[in-house]
Amino acid sequence: MVSLTDTASYTRGRRRPLLRLGNFGLTLPALLLIIVFFVLPVLALLVRSVTEPVFGLGNYAELLGSATYLKIFFNTFVVSGVVTIVSLAIGFPVAWTLAIMPSRLASIVFAILLLSMWTNLLARTYAWMVLLQRTGLINKTLIALGLIDKPLPLVNNLTGVTIGMTYIMLPFIIIPLYGVIRKIDPAILQAAALCGATRWQALTRILIPLAAPGMISGALMVFVMSLGYFVTPALLGGTANMMLAELIAQFVQSLVNWGMGGAAALVLLVVTLTLYAIQLKLFGTAGAGGR
Amino acid sequence: MLLNFHSLGSWKWLLLVVTFLTAAFLILPILFIAALSFGSSQWLIFPPPGWTLKWYADFFADPRWLEAAWTSFRIAMMVTVLSVLIGLVASFGLVRGRFLGRDALRALFMTPMILPVVVLAVALYAFFLRVGLNGTTTGFVIAHLIVALPFSILALTSALEGFDRSIENAAVLCGASPLEAKIRITLPSISHGLFSAAIFSFLTSWDEVVLAIFMASPTLQTLPVKIWSTLRQDLTPVIAAASTLLIAVTILLMLIVAAVRKGMKS
Repeated sequence: MVSLTDTASYTRGRRRPLLRLGNFGLTLPALLLIIVFFVLPVLALLVRSVTEPVFGLGNYAELLGSATYLKIFFNTFVVSGVVTIVSLAIGFPVAWTLAIMPSRLASIVFAILLLSMWTNLLARTYAWMVLLQRTGLINKTLIALGLIDKPLPLVNNLTGVTIGMTYIMLPFIIIPLYGVIRKIDPAILQAAALCGATRWQALTRILIPLAAPGMISGALMVFVMSLGYFVTPALLGGTANMMLAELIAQFVQSLVNWGMGGAAALVLLVVTLTLYAIQLKLFGTAGAGGR
Repeated sequence: MLLNFHSLGSWKWLLLVVTFLTAAFLILPILFIAALSFGSSQWLIFPPPGWTLKWYADFFADPRWLEAAWTSFRIAMMVTVLSVLIGLVASFGLVRGRFLGRDALRALFMTPMILPVVVLAVALYAFFLRVGLNGTTTGFVIAHLIVALPFSILALTSALEGFDRSIENAAVLCGASPLEAKIRITLPSISHGLFSAAIFSFLTSWDEVVLAIFMASPTLQTLPVKIWSTLRQDLTPVIAAASTLLIAVTILLMLIVAAVRKGMKS
């Protein structure tokens, strides 16, 4: 085997390399960019939470000690929890079907999943703002069907946020779950059938337990992503039903209170990273971020 | 049994119905927006009483909307070029390097993808206020680049890992300079990776909302920011037209990706 010197670090031909950093040097532009415009600004923001307006933990005391802010934390966790459970309940049967349905049909469903994922978040949120409003299609249909007498309040409350967020999160849980179910060996279920298991037993004792790690991992990812969403809760929830990301934005934009903004950002980061650490420890992977 | 479609019995239909309904739930709102943008009702009544191109005419007649669309495009192009260049060089280093902390570095490059964007947006906003980059094209490009770069590095490292390096070495043995071998042999071989990196960087920038809201100024806005600020006032159908145009660009690029992948396979 001919060993060739790696020449990635050659800057000015082979005569006198001014700086030999080798392959590590190639990552420097990206590294500098990430450090200067990502790591340092985030750290600076977090530092401001303990230095502004005065040095100490005053911001955290205020954040975790006031009913207003606690209600926002509560809203954030409840909405994210409900969105996660609903996404999982719908996502599991869909992922399962995708894994076994004829490939032509499956590819159509996949195209829809990808289209939905890559369609602008604002456009999708706008769609739900229009659909869910008092005179919107959903209310009009329900009234026409005689299911309700007066329009239901579906926007500017947590119901709207939950519907919109579930809509956005579904593809994020279906795709990884599909991967998990694809990996399960059908022979195991055939063996169960041969041993006389009913379909229901095969589902609850074999398929669900085998898919469980993927389900928990996907659920954790969706939950974490939901915690940090800003656009959808802001537009569908109205001002009275804030979530954590909106609170951070509001501290900074309208109240210009960097100390509190930094503190709220730290809370979100700590929860996010803790859940990712759990996911990493349990499954060896960590998911994607929120918008 | 449960993993064989044809031996599912009655459950087959239940699963198909759930899947069909979910697919409808995901696709219909997007079609709904497109339909609204051609509907003649100003109050977004659906189905609309008639069809019209009025909202598109309004969009194209308003310099502010056009300006925003052009800004979006400009910024996305710059982000694409930078993201592919920086990502390419970094990917060479990551895939071929044997240095301490390489895997940690890889993980660090992926963090902007997994952290809540709002934290990055607020942090960058604070930083840019101090150095005077707020509401500038440079600020926009840097912010979008931070979230586009992970996609680029992901696509390019996986393309480089799948490339057999001995081909490049053979070119060097045949007299090519190492750089020439990389440009003439390696880059064409990983062109699908370069292409994915470019498209996803473009789309990431084109669709970015949260960062853009914080980077924008009254005189410099991208299309999503303009949609956002209009939405906060009312739900005019012009937004449906703007959204449809935004989505059309995305679909067009996704179709190109799909076509190229098909071409790769055949």
